[in-house]
Amino acid sequence: MRRGVGLGNYIAVDSPVHALDPAAKLGIVSAFTVGLFTAGTFPGLTLLAVTVIVGTLAASVPISAALRGVRTVSLILVLTILANALRWEPATVALVRVGPLAVDGEGLASGVFFAVRIVLLVVGTSLLTLTTSPVELAGGIERVFAPLRWLRVPVGDLAMTLTIALRFIPTTVEEADRIMTAQTARGARFDRGGPIARARAYAPVLVPLFFNLFRRADELATAMEARCYRGSDGRTQLRESRMRPADWASLLVAGILLIATGVAL
Amino acid sequence: MTDTKTRILVEIALTVALATVLNLIKLWRMPYGGDVSLEMLPILVLALRRGWRPGVSAGALYGVVALMLGPIVVHWAQFLLDYPLAYAALGVAGIFTELVRGARTDGRSRVGWTAAAVAAGAVLRFAAHFTSGLVFFGQYAPEGQPTWLYSLLYNGSYMLPAAILCAVAAAAILPPLDKAVPPR
Repeated sequence: MRRGVGLGNYIAVDSPVHALDPAAKLGIVSAFTVGLFTAGTFPGLTLLAVTVIVGTLAASVPISAALRGVRTVSLILVLTILANALRWEPATVALVRVGPLAVDGEGLASGVFFAVRIVLLVVGTSLLTLTTSPVELAGGIERVFAPLRWLRVPVGDLAMTLTIALRFIPTTVEEADRIMTAQTARGARFDRGGPIARARAYAPVLVPLFFNLFRRADELATAMEARCYRGSDGRTQLRESRMRPADWASLLVAGILLIATGVAL
Repeated sequence: MTDTKTRILVEIALTVALATVLNLIKLWRMPYGGDVSLEMLPILVLALRRGWRPGVSAGALYGVVALMLGPIVVHWAQFLLDYPLAYAALGVAGIFTELVRGARTDGRSRVGWTAAAVAAGAVLRFAAHFTSGLVFFGQYAPEGQPTWLYSLLYNGSYMLPAAILCAVAAAAILPPLDKAVPPR
């Protein structure tokens, strides 16, 4: 914690992808996911891979940041390829044979296909969070799900909760950091022993964190009501975000092309 | 005196923030992957103070925040099962709220009901992750592979120690917390 917490993966740079409305980006990512799961051939995946590469370049984010999620699923990728490619004493013609184990060509192709699909999904979805700040994304989610108000879903309250949560993550990090520093000064060690020893070391950190959470909630609720917060009905926003013609055009063109690629190929 | 609705809304939000921070503190990394952390604890504590509805809401929103801060999406069903649904299921522990509150504050039964509540929430969260594993491996592994075993080993290896630690921590934190900041 004290070495700095990398919270979220948003990278603030000036790019056309960053400038797109969050609701449009949510729509494009959804269309990309539909395209990815309907595409059944390598040419289809290749075209979708090109859109991810173009998107990453247009977003001006480092390739390493876009590929960070792939590292996390690397074991899954290896398992996917191996589980599809390896055969035990196969009846079919094998590419390579080592004892009773053999690499099946057809299986290897389908393993690589699935692995590429996973990589594209991980990179494609992370592009959304790389180019949209959590608070902007919360606003976008609120607008996308706004029609659910007709089904009496408290969309506004949920969005308000999400915004407060995102706002208070840095505050809670600082608080935890301060308490941990104080405990370290008293001789506490958080990096020694097994999970039980470590959890026990965190006990003096957890108790004040929980007490402060519920005390702060009381104070914050009082402050909100003192400023006339009465639920989400009729609440206005300081910065109103709207879909501009360029956002609609990007959503329609990218959405149709992505889904069409998946369906056709 | 504030409106209970606003107070619960803010408690849910701050619970989500604390769960996100506790998720950054990895207590242990398991051999099959997956980290042991206390991220479930705030959601369980809120559920046991306020009931299952705020617990489920906090869990689902925590899943959304986890998605917003660093999504790992490998399948559309896994996206739903591993994020909003798994953590929302954790909040079901709140069905034990009245039993925990009604139990003697210094007796064994309170600890027992707290452990039962954590177990219920953890089992439901595990069920969501386990199903997600079945869907994922079922989609990407060839037929005949023991997909249930992969999913059980991976998810069980970090969920079991995390649930035990959370049960102990929740039983220790709830009585003094309820005394110091009563849930009005």
